[in-house]
Amino acid sequence: MFLAELRMETLRINGVEKQFPDGLPQTLTELLKELNINAATVVAEIDGEIIARHNFAQTQLSIGQHIELIRFVGGG
Amino acid sequence: MSLEQKHSDSNIKAILAEKNLNGDSPTWQGRLQKISGENVEKALFEPAGSYRFKKLLALISPAAENYIEQMAQIAHQLTIQRFGRTIRLYAPLYLSNYCTNSCRYCGFNKDNKFRRTRLTIARALQEAEVIASEGFRDILLVSSEDREFITVDYLVELAVRLRDKFSSISIEVYPMSTAEYALLFNAGIDGVTLYQETYNRQAYHYYHPAGPKSDYDDRLNAPDRIAAAGMREVGLGALLGLTNWRLETLALAEHAHCLIKRYWQSHISFSFPRLRPAYEVDGSQLEHLPSDKNLVQMIMTLRLCFADAGLVLSTRERAQLRDHLIKLGITKLSAGSKTNPGGYSVHSRAIEQFEIDDNRSPAQVAAMIKQAGYAPVWKDWDSAFVKD
Amino acid sequence: MDKLIIVGREFNSRLLIGTGKFASCELMAESIDKSGTEIVTVALRRVDIDNKNDDMLSAIDRSKYLLLPNTSGARDAEEAVRLSKLARAATGINWVKLEVTPDPYYLLPDPVETLKAAEILVKDDFVVLPYINADPVLAKKLEDIGAATVMPLASPIGSKQGLKMRAALEIIVEQAAVPVVVDAGLGTPSHAAEAMEMGADAVLVNTAIATADDPPGMAEAFKLAVQAGRMAYESGMPASDKKASASSPLTGFLRDE
Repeated sequence: MFLAELRMETLRINGVEKQFPDGLPQTLTELLKELNINAATVVAEIDGEIIARHNFAQTQLSIGQHIELIRFVGGG
Repeated sequence: MSLEQKHSDSNIKAILAEKNLNGDSPTWQGRLQKISGENVEKALFEPAGSYRFKKLLALISPAAENYIEQMAQIAHQLTIQRFGRTIRLYAPLYLSNYCTNSCRYCGFNKDNKFRRTRLTIARALQEAEVIASEGFRDILLVSSEDREFITVDYLVELAVRLRDKFSSISIEVYPMSTAEYALLFNAGIDGVTLYQETYNRQAYHYYHPAGPKSDYDDRLNAPDRIAAAGMREVGLGALLGLTNWRLETLALAEHAHCLIKRYWQSHISFSFPRLRPAYEVDGSQLEHLPSDKNLVQMIMTLRLCFADAGLVLSTRERAQLRDHLIKLGITKLSAGSKTNPGGYSVHSRAIEQFEIDDNRSPAQVAAMIKQAGYAPVWKDWDSAFVKD
Repeated sequence: MDKLIIVGREFNSRLLIGTGKFASCELMAESIDKSGTEIVTVALRRVDIDNKNDDMLSAIDRSKYLLLPNTSGARDAEEAVRLSKLARAATGINWVKLEVTPDPYYLLPDPVETLKAAEILVKDDFVVLPYINADPVLAKKLEDIGAATVMPLASPIGSKQGLKMRAALEIIVEQAAVPVVVDAGLGTPSHAAEAMEMGADAVLVNTAIATADDPPGMAEAFKLAVQAGRMAYESGMPASDKKASASSPLTGFLRDE
């Protein structure tokens, strides 16, 4: 019902709302694993703050955070 | 990363030392001798007005003496292109001949015994009145090393009083700090001329044995301070006749190049003071004195390497030579000059810094300029546009 | 031939390579290799989380090439600064090619935002290589605030028109006290050679190589062209055939001495 929907666990990732019916991944590392993204080459920003790679495993996630996942691509 | 770090290569002291341009350098003398006609021809084909050390070397070499006419044609065209057919006019106002230096070549040397003159602000203004009445709007305030009387405050006060009458006020006095130059800039002074006299350290030491001017490095670094303070015009020069004039030209050009790279908003001018007979100065030991032909070569070399530099000639030089030189790259002349403080308003017996050789009145010089097909320019800028 | 020096770091190659527009990572990698480059630019983009993508970064041997992240996509200083910090966080490299291009058609750089961003980044210890229009005054201003190089365009990105901005580039080369890297719009190896002959310190090439029929082959051609152009410059360009217009003699008076 309404309350249950409010309590649906979501994160805003790269500008898009993503729902986690089974609950939020606990840490950034877990999120990346769930999304099948190679942690070694990605840059992460949570609510505008850059997260250093060595902190991924310790970074706790909470509902509603704005997460940016960025990687290198070809460019001039 | 500090700006100093970034611009460490634009440190003139380091450059002169590295290139060995601050001494007698038999190496450079040898290299100059080895320059061939072919080298000179190649240099002449480089884009006119562009600076490259190799080009400079070729143009100032003995071999280039055979190409003087060619150099003249290029210099003439280039100057007209960049400056039009115009010659700017200015007048020097000597404020004092009290001096604390002992420069061997100068009539104002502190060891010379004569009655010295200092102008009060009021007298200086009187002099300026005369200068203005001749048509000048560009004035150069000159003084010997008289820090006691010709202070920064004095110059500030004088500048403020002269601002209404003159659209351009420059100074040629002792070296100052950046902060002092900034004060002067705010007071309405927009240009500073300061000759290194000689870039050769040993010669410098010999010719300036005592007084504040004996500090070679302080003087060398002063143009940086002048430009950093925001002055629009920076005037450089070497006193020709102290040492090898070809080597001086190399060092002088490197100095200018260095300043231009870093202080890209300031305009550089070169002057060509040739040693002249002066009161109690022995004129006989002048083995390094450049001839007229040498002087012409130097002027044109600098024009060919610096398309936009001002090239300034004072009344040290005789009339006929000046008349020819206005077609060879010169852009600015003084006229009717009195180099004795107080010399404009009264028939003064005060000692001159050097003997004048062009005694024509400003009106006569202006007429000569017109006759040569050029326009005399009395006023080239108006600081009233940008200052209160 | 003398080395390219940027903030004290020496490079043998004066050809920088951009990695965009390649048909595949393999072609990109091979082209980089054939170009002899030592500096390679990359861009930053959001990971597409719904699609599995190639990880192009792994195709670049970071021990051989200096990675130079660019801030392409940034439309103002704030975005450019943010991208720079992200890039630094990702790689530990503090070099950045500053690119602020609000115009999506010609991708021309915004001078005001570029200067603004450069100032912030230099203060934050970045080595800033700003991409600019061929504007000599802007180039000096960037130098004044501490940019490590200037990177003026030859013609718009991807246009392959060559040195359209030649006259302005000559002034920049003459006035610069930092290395000048001509970037954008170089379409052929001869354009690159021309830029080097003119006195540029280096060039950056992307589209011309990536979109060639044989990118690695073209990369090698550019390598040779850049070397040839530089060698010509260092040897002293040949005299051009200038005739002085006849005019009456100006120095006859000296003969009377």
